[in-house]
Amino acid sequence: MDEQQRRTISRRQFLTGLGVGAGALVLAACGAQPGASGGASTAPTAGSAASAASGEVQFWDMVWGPPEYIDTAKRVAEQDFTAANPGITVSYQSNPWSSWPQVFTTAVGSGTAPDVSTGGGYQAIQFYPQDAILEIDDLVAEIGVDAFLPGQIDGMYYNGHYIALPWGIDIRIPFYRKDLFEQAGVAPPTTLEELRAALKALTRGEQYGIAFAGASPLGWQSIVSLMYMFGGGFFTADNQLDVMNDRNIEGLTFVADLIKDGVVHPGSAGFQDADLSRAFGTGSAAVMFFSPSAEERVPEIKDQVGILSPMTGPHGDKATLMFANNLMIYKQTRNPDATKAFLKWWSENSLPIWTEGHAGNLPARRSIAADPYFQENPFIKPIIDEWVPVGRLTGNHSTGTFPALADIDAGGMLNTLATDLLQGRDVTETLQKLETTLKGLKSLQA
Amino acid sequence: MTRHQRRLVMRWSLFVLMLVLVTVVNLPIISLILNSFRSTSEILSSRSFLPEAPTLENYAFVTQRTSFGQWLLNSLIMAGGGMALSIMAATLAGYVLSRFRTRFVTAYGTGLFMVQMFPILLALIPLFIFFRTLGLVNTYYSVIILYTVAQLPFATSMFRAFFDGIPVDLEEAAKIDGANRFQAFTLVVLPLAGPAIAAVAIFAFLFSYNEYLIASVFLRREELFTVPIGIQQFIQQFSTDWGSLMAAAVLAMLPTFILFLFIQKYMMYGAIGSGVKG
Amino acid sequence: MSIKTASSSSSELRVVLRRRRLDLFPIYLLIPSLVLITLINLYPFAAGFYYSLQDGTLLQTGAFVGLQNYLDLMTRPEFHNALRFSAIFALFGVFGSWAVGLGLALLLNRDIPGRGFFRVALLLPWILPSIVSIVSWRWMIGDQTGLVNVVLGFFGIRPIYFLSTGEWATFSIIIVKIWRSFPFMMLSLLAALQTISLEIYEAASIDGASPWQSFRYITLPQLLPISVVLWILMTIWSVNDFETPWLLTQGGPSNATENLSVLSYRYTFLLNNVGLGAAVAFFTMLILMIFALILLRRQQREP
Repeated sequence: MDEQQRRTISRRQFLTGLGVGAGALVLAACGAQPGASGGASTAPTAGSAASAASGEVQFWDMVWGPPEYIDTAKRVAEQDFTAANPGITVSYQSNPWSSWPQVFTTAVGSGTAPDVSTGGGYQAIQFYPQDAILEIDDLVAEIGVDAFLPGQIDGMYYNGHYIALPWGIDIRIPFYRKDLFEQAGVAPPTTLEELRAALKALTRGEQYGIAFAGASPLGWQSIVSLMYMFGGGFFTADNQLDVMNDRNIEGLTFVADLIKDGVVHPGSAGFQDADLSRAFGTGSAAVMFFSPSAEERVPEIKDQVGILSPMTGPHGDKATLMFANNLMIYKQTRNPDATKAFLKWWSENSLPIWTEGHAGNLPARRSIAADPYFQENPFIKPIIDEWVPVGRLTGNHSTGTFPALADIDAGGMLNTLATDLLQGRDVTETLQKLETTLKGLKSLQA
Repeated sequence: MTRHQRRLVMRWSLFVLMLVLVTVVNLPIISLILNSFRSTSEILSSRSFLPEAPTLENYAFVTQRTSFGQWLLNSLIMAGGGMALSIMAATLAGYVLSRFRTRFVTAYGTGLFMVQMFPILLALIPLFIFFRTLGLVNTYYSVIILYTVAQLPFATSMFRAFFDGIPVDLEEAAKIDGANRFQAFTLVVLPLAGPAIAAVAIFAFLFSYNEYLIASVFLRREELFTVPIGIQQFIQQFSTDWGSLMAAAVLAMLPTFILFLFIQKYMMYGAIGSGVKG
Repeated sequence: MSIKTASSSSSELRVVLRRRRLDLFPIYLLIPSLVLITLINLYPFAAGFYYSLQDGTLLQTGAFVGLQNYLDLMTRPEFHNALRFSAIFALFGVFGSWAVGLGLALLLNRDIPGRGFFRVALLLPWILPSIVSIVSWRWMIGDQTGLVNVVLGFFGIRPIYFLSTGEWATFSIIIVKIWRSFPFMMLSLLAALQTISLEIYEAASIDGASPWQSFRYITLPQLLPISVVLWILMTIWSVNDFETPWLLTQGGPSNATENLSVLSYRYTFLLNNVGLGAAVAFFTMLILMIFALILLRRQQREP
């Protein structure tokens, strides 16, 4: 009796639920009336604020540096630019990192995208296939591809078009503790073999050779950097998926061996970037891969922080993972000319966002990177001179950029790979799992 | 020991127990407060629980160099608005759900129930288009309305459950005394709803005050930022200004703390109302 | 799905009210919430369902694929993983926070010096924005210098990396969830406790009932209606909780703490596959509805 009764009642309840839906539709139709008329009268007013006539450019920027960054970038965009380009005004808006996917998707999807924005290395290619990004071949031709440090502009090229400008280099660099190396009596390694030996020598008690931040993108980025030093990569030169190659297996086996050696900080799989820099700062890890300016995270021991030079892999490769942060124009812009003028100016003249705003990344423009601020900084110069030339974008062997890279960059599957390894799982199985996930991606099925 | 002494010992041992519980439970908050008096570099490098070189620098920075005051004001306005609106709508709806079991009302209850299971993330674009049509994006109103709606299912069911516990005899008596149905509700039932209103008010306020997702999408101008969005400005891609973040968090706790102190008395008062049940 | 606690006279009144045809009074009272709910929820809801039947992105509609996304989902290991974790997370989170909340509510309901202070102090975990409470927890348990490991070290226990293995991360995230949720439980149960008449307890104690018997046969049954509502609400909130797992562990390590809502987010916004993302959301809704209906009907049948 119970069974039958339950079924009939729940169906009825379900249907009455539908009834509410139907009734609500009617109400919604009535309710929409004032809404629609209100919209008609307010829309033009709202629109005119950003319209072409006034020559206003809306610029959305991410938080690229400490609190002074936002003030500086706002000033450079809104005041310095207009002083140099009377007639065009810029409105600057800072965006938090944690919400960028929904903020930009919502903005594009509802027709309220900014004219121009900064973003990570794959934001332009994420939105370009959805018809949201303006091609800027003319602008790149005008600036010239040689104006950028090596490798940067290639990351903007897709299907015969440039879809963004590179403006900031983010790169994974091994930092080391000079004092701990000295205590252990080891010299900075120049090959990966030496690195493994050094890490062993550096591990004693609660002190470990190296730590990773598995709960942050830094984790997989560091591990993939090591993999690239073996010549590994997830794609062939013609952008075909190639996960289970020998070099990848060899590179990740190296990481797995480090874990077996016991030289990897046991907390690595769960660390975020703050835990990583704290492990480094308190001396419980002697080496870490980080983005430039890591020394600023540990000011007390800044003197003891060194940067390793590129290490040669067993097949003669020198490499690390690098990103070309994007500066892109949205197709919805009502003012493409003013926006391009701004983009061109910003690309050339944004030096103060580093010198005063202390942005964490490095400039992609040669002219800016030549500034004494970078050339005289002992923590930056070796990165620009030694690491950027061997920096590789996420595709490594692949050409240009393509949508699957955006999925791989933000989609979380490499986090899984890294934390699998850091928890001691089998290399081949882990790679196979990654291959299965990648094959399930929409961007790789077409 | 006399009975009185036994009671006294009992009371004070409970007191000690509570003191221990409160401390343990609040350890993360205590460490947060302690950290707010340390420089970011000390937070990152120190192993000690207590600040080694206590400083007010973080507070000075947050209050002087950021728009913290504006964020706080925005948060209070939007949270207060959402709270007031949802209490108004939900007391009425909760009362109807409790007293009128018609098919339509039951169906509304079911619908309300379903609605809160739908994740807001997927609704963002349609909602954004809706509010843009009304010209309400980048205003307090869109966020207040969304907070109200987000509260409604919970607030309504709280009130419904509460009104279920209030005997209908009271309203009948009021009607015999000549009150109409609306008066019976507002003059007899509503005054008893103190504890429920207090609970819903706290809940609605906190939800809105700490909400991040809706605010981050619908408020695209710095002068409209709420505290949770403002705090995000201390977070870069791979590093965070922990000192400022924690100082801002501690300052943001104060209004809620004061609200709690105020409302908890009100809840005590509400407890007297329970006598009517017998 | 109604909750019945009222006396027989109230049901008589209801019968009277039901007989009256086209009674507009309840409709008037419902108007404010009805209008808000329909305006804000209906269209996005329909749009979301439509997404789940398509092979598109949030920005571009794709081909109509019927139930393909749902079928596809069933074959994906990450979905099974998220389903399992969501169930564990909800089960332990809900009952943990209910039990802790009930215990504290009972204590607070007693005559303790400084009761008002304790009441507020125990609500504090609730007043932090999620980013802040997660950050404070990470400082407590994130590495070997965190307070918890320092205390463990005091007892000679080697550091535990609470967020660095799947098992410990699952345990930790449930504890954090309980910590963030119990104040709400406590407050709601306390409000309910205060509506229980003291006379019932007095009568019971005159009849010789032990404190445990009073609790078992008076307090618990009186708290049952509100508890069922709380369990259901907390389950919904746990399953749909995006911020706790995302901020604490990003769903890791190795997806051990990825729940359905993080998975839906990942599909929708990070992998440009709103079809799968929406399918996850609607599948989740379906499960939650079934769960809620079962619980409410069981409770309805109770005497």
